[in-house]
Amino acid sequence: MVKIILLVLLFASSLLSANIYETNCIKCHKKIPVSIDKYFYRYLLTYSSENNVKTAMINYMQNPSKKDTVMPNAFISRFGIKKKTTLKESELREAIDFYWEKYKVFGKLK
Amino acid sequence: MLASKSLDTDLLHSEKKTLLRFSALYILLSIVIIWAFSFMYYESQKGLMLQEKKVILQEYSKKLIGELKHLHINFDKTQIYPRSDKFNSAIFDSDQKLIFQTSKTELDLNKILYLKNDTIHLINIPESYYLGAQFIIVKMKDDGMWLKDVTKKIVSFTVLAFIFMLVIGYILLRLFLKPMRDAIHLLDRFIKDTTHELNTPVSTIVTNIEMIDRSSLDKNLVKKINRIDIGAKTISNIYQDLTYLTLGNKIISNDEDLDVAHIILERIDYFKSLADAKRVTLNADIIENSILHIDKAKFSKLLDNLISNAIKYNNIDGFIKITLAKQKIVVEDNGIGIEKENISKMQDRYARFNNSSGGFGIGLNIVSSIAKEYNLKIDINSQIRVGTKVSISW
Repeated sequence: MVKIILLVLLFASSLLSANIYETNCIKCHKKIPVSIDKYFYRYLLTYSSENNVKTAMINYMQNPSKKDTVMPNAFISRFGIKKKTTLKESELREAIDFYWEKYKVFGKLK
Repeated sequence: MLASKSLDTDLLHSEKKTLLRFSALYILLSIVIIWAFSFMYYESQKGLMLQEKKVILQEYSKKLIGELKHLHINFDKTQIYPRSDKFNSAIFDSDQKLIFQTSKTELDLNKILYLKNDTIHLINIPESYYLGAQFIIVKMKDDGMWLKDVTKKIVSFTVLAFIFMLVIGYILLRLFLKPMRDAIHLLDRFIKDTTHELNTPVSTIVTNIEMIDRSSLDKNLVKKINRIDIGAKTISNIYQDLTYLTLGNKIISNDEDLDVAHIILERIDYFKSLADAKRVTLNADIIENSILHIDKAKFSKLLDNLISNAIKYNNIDGFIKITLAKQKIVVEDNGIGIEKENISKMQDRYARFNNSSGGFGIGLNIVSSIAKEYNLKIDINSQIRVGTKVSISW
């Protein structure tokens, strides 16, 4: 019974994260002609580990600046710097965790 | 030991011990030096080999980074990790978490280039972390050719160096022994010269006393002649000891089956006048007749030294008991005795522990060398102011 409750909770939490990600991230990124995974690989290229990537993303979402962006100058010139996030830190973390799980390299290489 | 034999030097027990310690220390030091040089050579050759392989591994690493870059860009299309039959590889993120490996790899960040488990590893940190890889390890199997070559050279070097060190050690040992050898040679030469000068007068005195018919002389004169007889026999005994000492090793033995009891009685008779002078009672207890295959002169010398020591280190009115049991002679006295710690040194040449009586400290050394020649076992028990018991068994 406990197991079932836990699984249900986990599923619900994952749905919630997906929901936050879909509503708050995909919704805006869909408008830009650069797929969302490209940002992920730019972060990976600079910050390497899961911890570093997630910390850098949170920092950037909370305080976006030209100085901290991982995107090239041409991209910034064309699309500019994003607006500061309105999400609470916990929601932001959930969305980024979902984003990491979706595009991470671990376990995918063959 | 070898050196002392070749130098024909009779080294005392403590000096032999010092020499053995010196040799052991020298050999140990030589081994440490040779090992240190061998280790340094091995390390330098390993370093050279690694530098040679580094060039190849850097090429492989460069190629792998190019392929990782390509994979990073096209990760949405393909996830197949680049492989090569020439090398294995692994990638780790900045938290040293393994991203992927083509064979089992342990990250050792203390080194950039290293040899572990017969595999040469090169760690590369690229400028951009493709697929999040901060540490790229390329590795290839070590063929071990360099190790075979190095082992061969180290073995040859070790053998040659050890021989060289032994030669140097032998020369050092000779230098180390020289003052000791010179001192012993000087003493031996002095004794040799002295004995040579003593030979004629001692022989003349002993022969002439034996020729005197004492029955025709008056009592007082017999007493005086007896004293001269004792003195002459003492000198004769010392003379024989010194002769044995200087020529002992060169005297050819004429071994024969000896009636031990007969020789004991003969020697007791010889020493009777000497014992009488000190009022020491000489008793023989022949329990069993025994035959021993030995040189007569040497056996007499052995007995003479034991009996003369028993007389010399005895008290006035003391006693000496000589027992002949089965394959054993025991000379026992109730004399001054000797301390326990000195018993082991008694057989050393020139070892003397009592200056009240004359002597050179060579008697038991002669007994010891004769016993050694004929495999006789010497057993000494002594107690201060109680007496000494010397057993010779075969």
